[in-house]
Amino acid sequence: MGDMSGLSKFKENLLNLKNSFLASFLRSGRLTSDKSKASVMFNNFFLHIQGVKTHINTLRPTYTFGLGLITFFLFVIVVLSGVLLMIYYHPSVEEAYNKIKDIIYVVFGGRLLRNIHKWSGEGMIVFMILHMARVFYTGSYKKGREFNWVIGVVLMILVFGLNLSGYMLPWDQLAYWALLIVANIIQSPKEITDSLGITQYFDIGGFFKELFLGGTVAGQESLTRVYLLHVWLLPLFLFIFLAVHFWRIRKDGGLTKPDEFERVEGDLSYVSPPEKKGGLFPTYKTYGLMELAHGRTPAVDKDVENTVLSWPNLLLAELAVFMLTLAGVLVYAYYVDAPLKELANPLIPENPAKAPWYFLGLQELLSYSAFMGGVGLPGLALLGLALIPYLDREQEYVGIWFSNRQGRIVALQAFVVGTIVNIGILVFVVNLGWFRDWWPNVPQMLITLVNPGNIWVAFMIAWSAMVMKRTGSTRMGAIALFTMFLVSYVIFTAMGTYFRGPNWEFFWSKSQWPIH
Amino acid sequence: MLSRFYLSLLLLSGLVFIAFITLATYRELTPEWKKYQAEYREMLIKNAKDEAAREKARRIKIEQQQIYLAGLKRVDRCMNCHIGVDNPLMADAKVPFKQHSGDYLKNHPPDKFGCTICHNGQGRATNKKEAHGKGRDTHWDFPILPFKYIQNSCAQCHDYETLRHKGGEMVVKGERLFREKGCKGCHKVNGIGGDLGKALDGIGSQPIAYFPMRHVVGEQTTYNWLKQHYLDPRAIVPDSEMRVFLTEEESDLLTTYILTFRTTEVPREYRRIRYVPERRVDGESLYKMYCIACHSTGKVSVYDEILKRTIPAIMNPAFLKNADDGTLRKIIKEGRKGTQMTAWKSTAAGLTDGEINKLIRYITRERPDEAAEPFGFAEFKTDPKHGKELYDVRCALCHGEKGKGGKGALGINLTNPVVQKELDPEFLARTVRDGRSGTPMPPFGEEGLGLSDQDIADIVSYVRTLAQKK
Repeated sequence: MGDMSGLSKFKENLLNLKNSFLASFLRSGRLTSDKSKASVMFNNFFLHIQGVKTHINTLRPTYTFGLGLITFFLFVIVVLSGVLLMIYYHPSVEEAYNKIKDIIYVVFGGRLLRNIHKWSGEGMIVFMILHMARVFYTGSYKKGREFNWVIGVVLMILVFGLNLSGYMLPWDQLAYWALLIVANIIQSPKEITDSLGITQYFDIGGFFKELFLGGTVAGQESLTRVYLLHVWLLPLFLFIFLAVHFWRIRKDGGLTKPDEFERVEGDLSYVSPPEKKGGLFPTYKTYGLMELAHGRTPAVDKDVENTVLSWPNLLLAELAVFMLTLAGVLVYAYYVDAPLKELANPLIPENPAKAPWYFLGLQELLSYSAFMGGVGLPGLALLGLALIPYLDREQEYVGIWFSNRQGRIVALQAFVVGTIVNIGILVFVVNLGWFRDWWPNVPQMLITLVNPGNIWVAFMIAWSAMVMKRTGSTRMGAIALFTMFLVSYVIFTAMGTYFRGPNWEFFWSKSQWPIH
Repeated sequence: MLSRFYLSLLLLSGLVFIAFITLATYRELTPEWKKYQAEYREMLIKNAKDEAAREKARRIKIEQQQIYLAGLKRVDRCMNCHIGVDNPLMADAKVPFKQHSGDYLKNHPPDKFGCTICHNGQGRATNKKEAHGKGRDTHWDFPILPFKYIQNSCAQCHDYETLRHKGGEMVVKGERLFREKGCKGCHKVNGIGGDLGKALDGIGSQPIAYFPMRHVVGEQTTYNWLKQHYLDPRAIVPDSEMRVFLTEEESDLLTTYILTFRTTEVPREYRRIRYVPERRVDGESLYKMYCIACHSTGKVSVYDEILKRTIPAIMNPAFLKNADDGTLRKIIKEGRKGTQMTAWKSTAAGLTDGEINKLIRYITRERPDEAAEPFGFAEFKTDPKHGKELYDVRCALCHGEKGKGGKGALGINLTNPVVQKELDPEFLARTVRDGRSGTPMPPFGEEGLGLSDQDIADIVSYVRTLAQKK
């Protein structure tokens, strides 16, 4: 079109801006055909971590309950709100507390923002644990996903670390005394080295405590370290491991699904089936070359029939869960203020000085034996969790909640027996005490080895071994063990949160605490 | 066709989100201080004298008020609500619009002093409850000061000579009470004072958690704790040995003064303390400062329910006749181990030798001219067994079996180390012979209840065997 002037070309481009921009953005034209809907998924940097097609099982709300997604979205919210808080926060022992006060009182929406940050952070713990339970009970740690489960355990440690480090930043009484408790947990190997009489040569607990606090007492150096952990180091690792976590799900062909998948009538309320408009191959043969690649990625055979296009099915579901998460956090943050107590004061101990709630189970164990509660049992629990996929290698029943009828019975039994025995142990300890109360001079080593926490763990292991023997299945043993682990996490945490008062003594309710 | 389930979930959550974002925005846009500022502006517009003033009032912006005080390390936002505090037109307005009373702001302009330096409260907070810091759930250690205690803040910058004449009577009176009720007999301040009670340095800066609040009536504040504790120490701290007898008004005054003991100092540029030479302290003042809380007038010896022992009458002429300055000095300097009597020497409770001498001169001012007739204890050959027989009949009624005194017993506990080791038997013998007029202790000598000197010597020798078992 040689006769068009440059100016009229410019005008035409200007008028066409919307379409040309969208076309360049989406690169697949208008999303009318299945082909364009497919290409938008793998042409987009953010979307291509997801498959072009999604299995219907994945979209059934009752399969995942969106728990992993919720945890991820909470993380997104926590990062964004955290960056906003960083604008005002200053990690100095003189200023931190005042800055929090300013955020609450004069920053527009600051109180809400802080609440959102706090509650999404703690929400991550709740939903992460629920997500772990979902993955476990549906047997989704099997068939090539073993290592991804281990990465999940690493992510769990990071999420706990992030929450804990954030708890210390306001530098109020809660922060300061939680910092000391954590420092003491870090120091707890001293109980062992003391018992062996080698502390003066090999004080590993003391070394790590000093490394963590940046000195022998909590102060500016500790706050600086905790701050760097919270805003830089831990988030960086979380990003990396999260990316690997997602990447591996994608490489493993998306979420797990039962081998024998049956579509049911109700599925149509979650998904829109592919709009197949003729073609050379029948529906279940629509895969292209890339779908024949090595590995588990593509859905083959009849499973193709059970997949739907990710655009819009999966994206809509994700958007809905994101909105649900956002609304949930907002409503909670609107009504419940994040706590902020008096300015940190090393001379006025909180009594009881309590760790944040998600560690109160550990603190309960810590009250039996510092080493076992601080290092031994949590270390054993994490190791046990990480090893589950390697010790239970049965490949059946993947993608089915509780595997089968027997699994449901085993889980229920473990739940009931675990609850009774765990509470029984606590009742015993509260009423009768332990070795130190009966024989004041008993060697510490004996208590480290034989204490209520260890006895509970030994019981869990024995019960699960018994289940394995009876059922002849490692999966059943794992279900029993994991169920009891969850039960005791909840019970010990509730014990530490609601029933422990000053000097870690038992009280039915906080209203009975001696008012100091 | 989109999934109905996820679409409705998205829409519902979206609606909830929008609703709560709206609510939150509304809440942020309408803090309570904005209502006060709007009301203030209305009042100004209504009461304006002329059109110019009215126009000026109309132009007042409703905005965040804040005084940033770098030197005091404070940020005060009180004027968000107390907006008329420096406006003379608001002299008769209601709180919070009312102008500050008196002419305090003339010499203490708010932009230099702020508010919380005198009134306490949480300057950074922007709502009433948290700014006033009332209630333990606000987690603020220094709630707004009740007006009756406000003068303690004056003493941060002003000396007591100035305060006495210029509106600081209450803290001055409180200081006087502190000096004259013998508080330092048990409490150290700056390292000087007895050690039965807690040191008082920085007590006014202590967080609320420092005080056991369980039995405090009303708001759990440091102020209420102090006051109620002066009115009845054992109602607040059940096992307290504190001897304090104050009226309601005196309790308020003392509370005002005690709150001046702070750990924080305001910067020099704020202080207006004239360093007047320290007042010469005479024996009487020293007695009031350190001794009076236990010994009161010093004339009568009575069993004290609080200290669970008999407090000796140290200004009783009969006692003074018998106790020479050396004995008194020794008791005052070393104290009496096993009793509440503090060792007052400079390395312990911190009195100088000069001050102790002044005290002795004050205590002994009514000592009779003639010294007691010597007893000559050393010349007697004593028989403790005979002494015990006499003791059980004549002495045990008041001093208890084996000299242990006891609840309700009139006499002092004789087993304490001072009677046993430090006091001269001669002194004891004279006391038994001559008695202590003004106390229940009668003279047992031949001119009194008729014991022979030999009998008395035997009793003393028996008493000296009653040493406290460890």
